[in-house]
Amino acid sequence: MTLKKERFIGLAVAALGLLTLFVLIPIGIDSPDYVEVLALAPEFWPIIVGCLFTLSGIFMAVRPFEEKEDDEEGAPEPVPWLERLPKLALVLGCLFIFYFAAPYLGFVVPAFVLTLILAWFAEERRWHTLILVAIIPPVLLYVFFVFIANIPIPLGYFEFVRG
Amino acid sequence: MLENIAEAFSLFFTLQNIVIVFVGVLIGAIIGAIPGMTTPMGVALVLPFTFTMQPVTGILLLLGVYKGGLYGGSITAILIKAPGTPAASCTVLDGFPMTQKGEARKALDIALYASCFADFISNLSLILLAGLLAGLALKFGPPEFFTLIVFSLTIIAGVSGDNLMKGIASASLGLMFAVIGLDIVYGTNRFIFDNWNLLSGLSFIPVLIGLFALPEIINFYTQRVSDQLKSAPMSGVGAKFSDFKKCFKSIFRGSLIGVVLGAIPGIGGAPAAFLSYSEARRTSKNQDNFGKGEMEGVAAAEAGNNGVAGATMIPLLALGVPGDVITAVILGAFMIHGLRPGPLLFVENLPLIYALFIGIILSSAYLFVVGKFSIKAISRISNVPNRILYPIVLVCCLFGSFAINNSLFDVLVMVLMGCVGYVMMIYKFPAPPFLIAFILGPLLEDNFRQSMILSEGSLTILVRSPITWIFWTLAVLSIFFLIKSRKKNIPLAG
Repeated sequence: MTLKKERFIGLAVAALGLLTLFVLIPIGIDSPDYVEVLALAPEFWPIIVGCLFTLSGIFMAVRPFEEKEDDEEGAPEPVPWLERLPKLALVLGCLFIFYFAAPYLGFVVPAFVLTLILAWFAEERRWHTLILVAIIPPVLLYVFFVFIANIPIPLGYFEFVRG
Repeated sequence: MLENIAEAFSLFFTLQNIVIVFVGVLIGAIIGAIPGMTTPMGVALVLPFTFTMQPVTGILLLLGVYKGGLYGGSITAILIKAPGTPAASCTVLDGFPMTQKGEARKALDIALYASCFADFISNLSLILLAGLLAGLALKFGPPEFFTLIVFSLTIIAGVSGDNLMKGIASASLGLMFAVIGLDIVYGTNRFIFDNWNLLSGLSFIPVLIGLFALPEIINFYTQRVSDQLKSAPMSGVGAKFSDFKKCFKSIFRGSLIGVVLGAIPGIGGAPAAFLSYSEARRTSKNQDNFGKGEMEGVAAAEAGNNGVAGATMIPLLALGVPGDVITAVILGAFMIHGLRPGPLLFVENLPLIYALFIGIILSSAYLFVVGKFSIKAISRISNVPNRILYPIVLVCCLFGSFAINNSLFDVLVMVLMGCVGYVMMIYKFPAPPFLIAFILGPLLEDNFRQSMILSEGSLTILVRSPITWIFWTLAVLSIFFLIKSRKKNIPLAG
């Protein structure tokens, strides 16, 4: 990582720390009207942590660390962000769609689809493998959690299957 | 005395007891190995089955699950970077890098050896030192806890990698996430933003899975196809006796750390694992290799984690005080059978106590058998190509995150933590400091505030006893040596 980039990261951390101290803590922490001992105030600890976070960012920005060349040895060449973003969007999109679909479709069916898409996306092209990988783990997990651990994994619209 | 021992043998040596301890260890190992299934959950699940059993049989079943669960949590931590229990999260630090290097079997083996040895030492301590350790545990109040956690937190400097400032930023973030929820003193909201799911704070397991397993998976999918298709590392060969010997010092020290911390109510396996890891790293010749797949790191973490197993029974049996959720469930099992742990139990039911001791010792042997037979098969997971393994792991993580509290919100927490972890990975912020701070943060803050309540705001309470002085001194020394070793190794330290 270049020094300029490290400096920028440090500034971003410091900015996030200041945002925490001056915006998030005042908005996000309800403090009682009167606190007898300052150290017991609900915001006491978060303020200390916020200061620590800000200071670490400032130190990073002021005195950036130059990473050793050999750190990268053997690692694959980093993928440029432009190339990475669509893939990232697909994976995160799949995860968020799973989360939003789960109340309606339950866990098992979205898990089939998610596994199928991700295995296909990772260049697995054997249909029998794809189908087995998509079906067996979600079904086994469902059976384990519902029938052995007694945890009601939701089935959404497919709740009728449970009987 | 001999009469009591003879009675204990006749009480224990039934086919049912011998089988039930094995079943307990097996169930525990399986439950611990599933992300989302915690050991307390496993013990609670098994509890109803003990109602109709003899007291010794029922309690031994629960103890078996407990011990198996402690080891089982390390399996997924090593193989897929998804710790099954918070205590196993320390094992991830070197366990998963070992898997990536093609040494999964060695990592699993050494974790097993360390677990069994530490478990055995812990059991011996329970049998021989219960009274002494229970007395020491009683001397621990909030200030002593606070200083102990401060000392444990010094490990952050050791696991921050090359850039200490990034480590501190990462730890601060972990501490900040740990304060989310209801304030324990005033009962006011902290960072809840009207989302009542956050009232009890963020659950450990979704955060751990999100922080460790998910970034790895996301990173895999954002790589070029040619990199994705690279063959998965093989499971490799197992650990030899010479490997165990090499790590013995760390394993023994970790076991003792586990025993001492396990005997103190409210500490648990995670701080013991981190402290043991920190000490192993500090004294190791291969200091620089820690965090990159050092076998000694896995051994130390597992020894610390499993060293607490027998010792947590000390305050329960000797004082009737449960040290954690699991021993609280076991206390419940005692009470269901009309027994009240505490000094009187040793007077009124000594054969039962001895029978439990025999079962506990047997559970260490069973742990070794279960582990040894399962490792060969389990380690083959690392031979599965990532393009097939990662979707399966992802589904396990999603189901597991939900299962913790039957909450879809935990799934969202896991996904969001995955995003945070991915950004940290890209910009090279080390995840271990976040994790350590997130786990130890609530203990640190709660004990600090309890100390302040006790002293009405006077900080002098934090140096009130010799124990606090010992931990302050150890913390200062630890920081001093860590900074010294960093200066030696890193010419331009951040």
